[in-house]
Amino acid sequence: MGIKDYFVEDIPRRKFLEMSFKGGIVLAATPALMSQLVSCKGQAPGTKMDVDKSLLNETIQKALQKGGEFADVYVENRITRSIKMEESKFKSAQFGISQGAGVRVISGDKTGYAYTDEITKEKLSRAAEVASYVAKEGKQIQPVSISKQERKSFVTVKTPLQGIADKKRLEVMKRANQVALDYDKRIKMATIDYYDEIRGRTIANSEGLLVSDELPLLFFIVQTLGVGKNTRHMSRKRLSRHSGFEMFDEVTPEEVAQGAARESIAMLDAQDAPAGMMDVIIENGWGGVLVHEAVGHPLEGDNIAKKIGAFTGKLGKKVASDVFTMIDDGTLTNKRGTTNFDDEGTQMKRNVLIKDGVLQKYMTDILSTKQLNMERTGNGRRQSFRNIPIPRMTNTFIAKGKEDPEDILASTKKGLYVQSLSGGSVNPITGMFNFTCREAYLIENGKKTTPVKGATLTGSCMDIISNTDAVGNDLDFGPGICGKSGQRAEVTAGQPTVRIRGINVGGSKARG
Amino acid sequence: MDYKTLSQQLVKKCLDKGADAAEVYIQSGRHLSIDVRNGDIETVEESSSGGAGFRVFKKGRMAFSSCNDFSDKSLENAVKSAVQFARNTTSDKHNVLPQQKGKSEVEKIYDPGIQKVPMEKKIELAKKVEKLAMKDSRITKSAGSGYGEGEAEVFLANSHGLSKSYKSSSCSFGVSVVAEKGDQKSSGSEYCSRRFYEDLKDPQGIAEKAAQNAYGMLDPQMVKTQKAAVIFDPDVARAILGGILGAVNGERVLQGASFLQDKMGKKIASDLVTLIDDGLRPRGMASQPFDGEGVPTLKRTIMEKGVLKGFMYNTIVAHRAGVESTGNASRGGFRGVPGIGPHNFYMDTGEYTPEEIIEATPSGLLLKGVTGYGINPVNGHFSGGASGFWIENGKIAFPVKGLTIAGTAHQMLHAIDMVGNDLDLNRSFTSPTFRIKSMQIGGE
Repeated sequence: MGIKDYFVEDIPRRKFLEMSFKGGIVLAATPALMSQLVSCKGQAPGTKMDVDKSLLNETIQKALQKGGEFADVYVENRITRSIKMEESKFKSAQFGISQGAGVRVISGDKTGYAYTDEITKEKLSRAAEVASYVAKEGKQIQPVSISKQERKSFVTVKTPLQGIADKKRLEVMKRANQVALDYDKRIKMATIDYYDEIRGRTIANSEGLLVSDELPLLFFIVQTLGVGKNTRHMSRKRLSRHSGFEMFDEVTPEEVAQGAARESIAMLDAQDAPAGMMDVIIENGWGGVLVHEAVGHPLEGDNIAKKIGAFTGKLGKKVASDVFTMIDDGTLTNKRGTTNFDDEGTQMKRNVLIKDGVLQKYMTDILSTKQLNMERTGNGRRQSFRNIPIPRMTNTFIAKGKEDPEDILASTKKGLYVQSLSGGSVNPITGMFNFTCREAYLIENGKKTTPVKGATLTGSCMDIISNTDAVGNDLDFGPGICGKSGQRAEVTAGQPTVRIRGINVGGSKARG
Repeated sequence: MDYKTLSQQLVKKCLDKGADAAEVYIQSGRHLSIDVRNGDIETVEESSSGGAGFRVFKKGRMAFSSCNDFSDKSLENAVKSAVQFARNTTSDKHNVLPQQKGKSEVEKIYDPGIQKVPMEKKIELAKKVEKLAMKDSRITKSAGSGYGEGEAEVFLANSHGLSKSYKSSSCSFGVSVVAEKGDQKSSGSEYCSRRFYEDLKDPQGIAEKAAQNAYGMLDPQMVKTQKAAVIFDPDVARAILGGILGAVNGERVLQGASFLQDKMGKKIASDLVTLIDDGLRPRGMASQPFDGEGVPTLKRTIMEKGVLKGFMYNTIVAHRAGVESTGNASRGGFRGVPGIGPHNFYMDTGEYTPEEIIEATPSGLLLKGVTGYGINPVNGHFSGGASGFWIENGKIAFPVKGLTIAGTAHQMLHAIDMVGNDLDLNRSFTSPTFRIKSMQIGGE
């Protein structure tokens, strides 16, 4: 309901931290239905979905019986495994199986939705009836009978997760744990979270579409606790792809662990961060969350269609500096934000959102496409069959620039060098955003110097993109979890090293 | 379906398949949500669903599985998966299940009347709150209003013979609006959640507060980077409480990952700070008769007049610490193992009205919005984005946006020098208005 902060974070957080987002309505009585963490998904093992075509056709017919111009059925099954290693012990192993189907009806600007855990004729028919509630006075159409369509695949698998023995999963965790603890004697604890899932999807709609696929997902998180004199730092490094188990050959668990441990130790020497406006350099990779929040969310079609988004009416206009080009691309092979088609069945695409500072496109789902009279960009995504699709980002990044990242640093006299960000949030209407730095350094005379403690960056999205004055040639990506309207989506954020002139930094030390 | 009997049968099934001890957690529920914008329905969602979670122990090794399908085949498959998965974990003598029978008395957490209120009346409530919020001429657009409700029933059984259940409900409504002036946009929202439909507040008050939150922030000014007093509105209480909650988590304490790990019985905040965790409050949004693994809940003092009095434990972590569970096993539904979490967690009331606190402040920030992660539970650092009103000579002078505030938990908790009398216990995670004497504020 209404405005919720849109946020992005690098790992799934515990419940009490989720509660720190203001404005959302949490139905305390049904946490299982309303707030599913990543570890809460599932699917029957080895049961390839086979939903009867005529059942899908009947459901769509039923959904449009009272009226409405569009209906779809989304059938999902998921099998998940998550294993936690902490204090060198395998503390828990969780296995999840879940399946269900959601039926949606669109009538004008109205959406009706209902879902069922059981994929039976009776339950689907009941869901269709509930979903059709909104279409009482809408116009009527005759749905097109569905036929199977093929979609290009952007997810390649060499070693399928289905064939991986649990032993292999434990093995990558042990390797990471060992390297983290061996890195330095001040590393007192490592936490290794392993998660994988296989999600099967079948989508059918009143336009005659029928598509289905099966997507593997891996998420590997290493957190390390560094303990120094009167100080502690918990750091983390993550690896996530839609891919087979070969992910761990391409990036080893040791590399991930080493990255986390390095940060834990480096930050033990951190001093209080300065407060006030200053120039900020953000290192390549996951730092792209800044534009994910500050620019990405405000470019999602739903708030634009409601004419309340910060970028409403700015299509074709200059909104950013000349060096700023931003892209959302769901087709980058095996990335965490990549799928073959979105959760409405639309083929994934490479969408240039801002080119050389000029606004080109909004990201849409089927509903906002209709409202805005624009193309379908393949951004209609949902957390599970329990949620309606909404416009979401996939892999979102600032395009590669021309500058050498070392030159960018050398030409910055004074400021803050942000090596990694935890996450942040944005108000999509006003465009006010904030970010929390996890690893940051002072810049003095063009050099990285003292590490500084977790500072906040805050400002307005329009200022950020107009004040970006240097873009490096070192584009990289990082995996994350994006939250919007109570739904979580797997995304990547990326960028080359960039410099932004004048961001408000929240440290506890007055500037000297 | 008789889930109580089923949960007991499934515990037995786990033991038959090779578990030494087992717990079955079944949840079933339904929810409805209605979104309205510009006087018309935007979305209606309604569904009922449920599922079962299996926690099994084999030679001290713990594993878990869940499924949302109650067919015999699926349940059997889930039980087998859990028992098999237990081969992978490390044996630990602390991996035990609770034995506490009985439930705590908690009144009025289920309203059978919510279902009986007609759909049209609920839609009307959402439409009305939007209409009222749009009345103010400074409000230019609606970002939507809505109504939501949910009911759930939990059944828990374990191999120590525990078999318990309870029902709960909640309902809520709220609205978000936008105020525009020239190029400026400002949004504001407000909502109300209750266990009982009849307890929902009057839409007039909700609408007014949403509108005020939006137009009140138009024409913000910047202030200089400085140290000044910061008054925390109850809306931003969680910015401070969240980090404390993370730091009193018994497991984090044992791991040496809490800034409060060696502070038990010590003075860590000013005399004015008392923190309570209450699982028993009648009609409380986070009240329940037993926690996520069946331990009866309590009302506990976590901090008394600035002295740290208690950490929070579930059964496994309590066993490891050599103490009793505090009834703080938290469970996000049937799909995961219990963690550690609060019930109704709040800072106790003080003696001043919020107006008196403002009047007593020569210069400072009345904090209405804060962004970021709050206090870092590991090391106590705090840094966040801030918005609200600037106070000059004891009066609200102008709105401020895009500021930052920062400090450490140690400095901030000791510097709380005024606490308000405006505690609203209908919220589950809250505080009265309170003032921190001095904090670093980042601006121009």
